Amino acid sequence: MVWRQVVLIVGLVLIAVIVQLTLLARLGLPGATPDLVVVTIVAIALAMGPTQGAVAGFAAGVLVDLAPPGDTLLGVNAIVYIAIGYITGIVIDPRDRTVPILIGIVGLSAGAAVVATAALDTLLGSDRVRWDEVAGMALSSALYAVILAPLVILGVAWLVARATPDALVA
Amino acid sequence: MFSRRTRIVLAVLVVASLTFVILDLRGGQGPFSSVRSAAANVLGGLERVAATVFSPITGASSWWSTMRDQAGQIETLSAENDRLRSELETLTSDRARADALDELLRVSNVGGYRFVPAEVIAVGPAQDFSWTVTIDAGRNDGIEPDMSVINGQGLVGRVLKTTASTATVVLIVDSSSAVGGRIATTEEIGIVAGTGQQDLLEFQLLDPMADVRVGDGLVTFGSKGGRPFAPGIPIGEVTEVQGTPGQLTRVATVRPFADVSTLSVVGVVTRPPREDPRDSVLAKDDQLDISTEPAPLGGADEPPADPGEETAATDVEKPATPAPGASTAPQRETAATPAPDQGEG
Repeated sequence: MVWRQVVLIVGLVLIAVIVQLTLLARLGLPGATPDLVVVTIVAIALAMGPTQGAVAGFAAGVLVDLAPPGDTLLGVNAIVYIAIGYITGIVIDPRDRTVPILIGIVGLSAGAAVVATAALDTLLGSDRVRWDEVAGMALSSALYAVILAPLVILGVAWLVARATPDALVA
Repeated sequence: MFSRRTRIVLAVLVVASLTFVILDLRGGQGPFSSVRSAAANVLGGLERVAATVFSPITGASSWWSTMRDQAGQIETLSAENDRLRSELETLTSDRARADALDELLRVSNVGGYRFVPAEVIAVGPAQDFSWTVTIDAGRNDGIEPDMSVINGQGLVGRVLKTTASTATVVLIVDSSSAVGGRIATTEEIGIVAGTGQQDLLEFQLLDPMADVRVGDGLVTFGSKGGRPFAPGIPIGEVTEVQGTPGQLTRVATVRPFADVSTLSVVGVVTRPPREDPRDSVLAKDDQLDISTEPAPLGGADEPPADPGEETAATDVEKPATPAPGASTAPQRETAATPAPDQGEG
């Protein structure tokens, strides 16, 4: 049962990473690249719970850092994404999943991911981060995430319900 | 929900991530280099497949980036619009690709470069502040780290690492990028550093007394053995000069010829020209001033195509008047008008 969940999580996250790098990033939209990965992690955390959210965050972080053309430190994204997966899984009470709250949480997560990654990179000695742009990046990333959210959350919830029908814990 | 299991899983994941970071921070040939290249092989292959699937979408959507820079320029915009509309109607991203290849061929013919054409298949997220892309050519195509990457407009970047079928390219605008540059007209040299902004480079002159003007074109002066940068590749155009002559460091702002936000077809220079093409690649008008030496076309193995005639003709036009020492100093007024928008024609 656990393995089925892990396979599902890794599969979803892998698709998100590939689509983000080969499709969304190449669109050349203004501001940040639409962060499909964060939205997917949040969707998994919502559908399956905080533990699964953390696992999804870990898998996504490692994949993002390993997939070409990734040139950042291995593990930085994993830390940020684990936190996002775990915290969103805890904060959301399955009983009051109203649309504005869900969307707000997705947007907040995407914005926080930008700031947290930039802060961690800077702390670890990277001189790439341009702090005057971080606010704009966080805002645009949050906006894109909000746009992506409904589709991804519904899609992931549907897939999870189908693939692991008896694993749905309240 | 806060079960023991959850806490254990969380702790394991966080510790694993921290271990990765610490091990990776040591840099160099860390324990991850083999893991990384293996993962890059697999994921790079997936990216190739996905890029092919998505190519109709990404090919048609470059209009977004093109529009952004054109505020206020109605004429350019409407011309651009017409072009884009017809492009959208036919939806032939293939044609754009062919045009880009033509441009590349022109550059390689004039400059005598040998290159492997490749297409950008993945781009690093903007919020990472790293300007890196993946191309669909790798070791199997003869690509090695530290080769120059060009497109029809000019220098794009250099190869950072390779897998069997893909390669990661650091673009010149990445803040870790530094290229040796030379002003085409005055031969002044300096270092062109990336700023992390997509249309901005910084040119630090080695000679503080140097005469730099807005509009001066920059080319690479080349590295030993043509790596990482082959000589004579157009880099960009000076748009602003800070500081006055004599100041300790003089910095000029340079706009790169290559628009790195809309990269599609690029070429990886696998063999630099036998002779430095100087700035012959920079301008393409007929009165272009070429060095006193014949263009390096004869030296290259490739049969010269149409653009070759252009170079040959210009040689005749300018009689050889070599200044002692700087044997190939071109005239200022002719080369000061590089054509940044060559791709638009």
